[in-house]
Amino acid sequence: MVQTILSRLATSLLVIFGASVLVYCIMYLLPGDPVLLMLDPSSATPEMIENLRAQLGLDQPFYIQFANYFGDMLRGDFGKSMINSDPVLPKILEHFPATLALTALSSIIAITIGITLGVLSAIHRNGVIDFVARLVGLFGISMPTFWTGILLILLFSVQLGWFPAMGSDGFSSLVLPAATLGLVGAGFIVRMVRNSMLEVINEPFIVALRAKGLSERAIMYGHALRNALIPAVTVIGMLIGDLLAGTVVVETVFSRQGIGRIIADALMAKNLPVVQGVVFFTSIIYVVLNLLVDISYSYIDPRVRRAVRT
Amino acid sequence: MNRSISWMKYMALAAVLVMVLSGCGTAGGSTNGAAQASGGDQAGQAEGGNLTFALATSPDTLDPHRSGLAVTVRAIRTIYDNLVVQLPDGSIKPWLATEWSVSEDGKSYTFKLREGVKFHDGTPFNAEAVKYNLDRVIDPATKAANSLALIRPYSSSEVIDEYTIKVNLESPSQAFLGNLSQALLGIVSPTAAQKYGDQLGKNPVGTGPYTFVKWDENADIVVAKNKDYNWGPETVENKAAPHVDTITFKIVPEEATRIGSVQSSQVLAAETVPPQNVAALKNDPNQQLLQANTVGLPYTLFFNLRKAPWDDVKIRQAVQSAVDVESIVKTLYLGNYERAWSALSPGILGYNASLEGSINPDINKANQLLDEQGWVKGADGIRAKDGQKLTLRYVDGSPNREKRNDIAAIIQQQLKQVGIAVEVEITKDIATVIYQNWDYDLYGNSQVNSDPNALYAFYHTSAEGERPTLSGLSDPKIDELLEQGAVETDPDKRVEIYNQIQQYLIEQAVILPIYVFPYTVAASKKVEGIKFDSLGYPLFNDVRIQP
Repeated sequence: MVQTILSRLATSLLVIFGASVLVYCIMYLLPGDPVLLMLDPSSATPEMIENLRAQLGLDQPFYIQFANYFGDMLRGDFGKSMINSDPVLPKILEHFPATLALTALSSIIAITIGITLGVLSAIHRNGVIDFVARLVGLFGISMPTFWTGILLILLFSVQLGWFPAMGSDGFSSLVLPAATLGLVGAGFIVRMVRNSMLEVINEPFIVALRAKGLSERAIMYGHALRNALIPAVTVIGMLIGDLLAGTVVVETVFSRQGIGRIIADALMAKNLPVVQGVVFFTSIIYVVLNLLVDISYSYIDPRVRRAVRT
Repeated sequence: MNRSISWMKYMALAAVLVMVLSGCGTAGGSTNGAAQASGGDQAGQAEGGNLTFALATSPDTLDPHRSGLAVTVRAIRTIYDNLVVQLPDGSIKPWLATEWSVSEDGKSYTFKLREGVKFHDGTPFNAEAVKYNLDRVIDPATKAANSLALIRPYSSSEVIDEYTIKVNLESPSQAFLGNLSQALLGIVSPTAAQKYGDQLGKNPVGTGPYTFVKWDENADIVVAKNKDYNWGPETVENKAAPHVDTITFKIVPEEATRIGSVQSSQVLAAETVPPQNVAALKNDPNQQLLQANTVGLPYTLFFNLRKAPWDDVKIRQAVQSAVDVESIVKTLYLGNYERAWSALSPGILGYNASLEGSINPDINKANQLLDEQGWVKGADGIRAKDGQKLTLRYVDGSPNREKRNDIAAIIQQQLKQVGIAVEVEITKDIATVIYQNWDYDLYGNSQVNSDPNALYAFYHTSAEGERPTLSGLSDPKIDELLEQGAVETDPDKRVEIYNQIQQYLIEQAVILPIYVFPYTVAASKKVEGIKFDSLGYPLFNDVRIQP
């Protein structure tokens, strides 16, 4: 097990490095000159533009720029924002907790609603609950996040006045954005859990358990759900990654602080050091998530654990 | 049986969850209420409180000399003062400078400065400080942005004595004094500028009515009352320290959220109200709508005169006649935006009001002009000449700011009627497409400015090596007029010069002026005294929050 985790960690480092290189190349090849985006095009003189380009090292060839960047990054220096000269690393560390809190709460909401509704709808197939659960699933998947967010603001903030419409002060301001993202996630999980539950329910071992006289409840929650969860865990793992990406929209709609908004702003301004920094950190999260998903398989499914040992 | 019991458990769980969630919601709500209620006790004389004001975008920096964004001005107006102030009638009045004289050749200004003014960090305000500021803007190391264009043709300054400074220009400029009133030429503390260097934007220090407290990126900017302040300009009633204790500028980019947070009383005021929300806000008993038209260049579509066939005045006039600006503005802004008629917006010196009503849609005229120039309609309804289709490349910067993408879509429909195909390209990368490759036939822009000299940058033949203008216009007659306008000292003659320029731009169909942008603020009725300066930027010196 330890060996597996170690080898996974090694590949993870490669993935993080690859992501950094890829993003660097994409940003470099994108049309648009960061210097022109930084200076006001109607008043900047060609001389000012050249000076600034030289100052930022953008007049160097690509490989030198990349080598400089990567060397600095290995020393823990992620550079400074091109827009306001803020050092990148402290900025990311400052904003990361808010995004993590948002992702965590929305994951909890998504998983709770998703698994509950998914299981219920499979057990009560074609009943009212099934209908409601499938509707929730469809709604979660098909509504654009920003639209759901605005609806929630209109209902719970403007009409009912329960939660603040925006900001990042305290738990109450986290509820609506997390619910917005959580609904999307729940939609996927409901469908996933429902389908795999239905598959498992019809498998011979369930029939065998019924024949042994086990209670329906013990069969459903003790055996069927456990088997149905394996594909669901994979989906949930990927989904948390999606939720992290979804914070870009949600943080903007709800005017929250966080890395989602930082990267959105940075991309528009071609603010390379900031984009690189954020990608570096999010790729770490993705890799860790994948690792956790793999490890959790072996706890849910003993067959996987045995396969790992041999 | 079993099933129904587990069912009920889930329902109970869900109910508890809802109760818990709504419980914390109420708690959050009441905290907000308490924060706003801390006002004074007598009606009309309210003192104290925190004004929360939602901004549509985040300022780039709070260093006025390095900022390139209009939104920055809303915040930095509270922190910095200027040497002079411009009144809505265009006249220039004292502020940090008490009086001034201009040399005979118009190339130097001698300012007497106000005594007893201190920066928020205790640094005394004097001639040295002003010299430091002006020199800082033209120093390439500062990386000045829009302020650099405003300060031109500044060359140097001499400190005469502690409170007297002589400012020298390379050439006379009638725009210079007015430009000194603009917030981007606000006076920063020399001590702070030297101490913080390129981080002054995060640690701003000025002499203004409010002092900087904190800036949480993408969340809020907080400023607090400057108790020592007593040098307010003529544009505000309260020349002394502000009535409110603090202002919190919240950054809320999504417009529905911004308006929603005013309606839910999470903030007391929010800027740039979408036209579709205006009617609802006007009818809301708890809200008020404040509005000020911005001054300068209205939102204008510029033809790229370097590219055929748009170098032909008749083709441009055909487009001018085919586009129904009135219906565009009415449809999109529901009567809340004024239609623009000229290259300048109303309210600026030299605005040519005689152009109002001068150009009206005329499809027959448009068709006739195109026929005359040999563009014949093909089977697909699009005109062609020498095998070349009549296609207009319309470029707009996304996202749909002030519904500018929708303008493009309507113009596309309108021009189709006369046989012109419009290709709309929406791109964020204006820097490359417009300013580097000049790959457009029609492109829109607007500018906030207090002086008609703003036209120079858009219509004067660009010098060798300089950035070419948006219109690509090059006419010796206009060049001469623009040069005269920059230096003419007789206001009547100046008005005459700019009238002629505007007349020419419309007659020659160099541009299609579309709308005058109104700066709108939705505010709770508890808030009183938000004023606007001559450019349409909000002023917070007189603000009171009624309990």
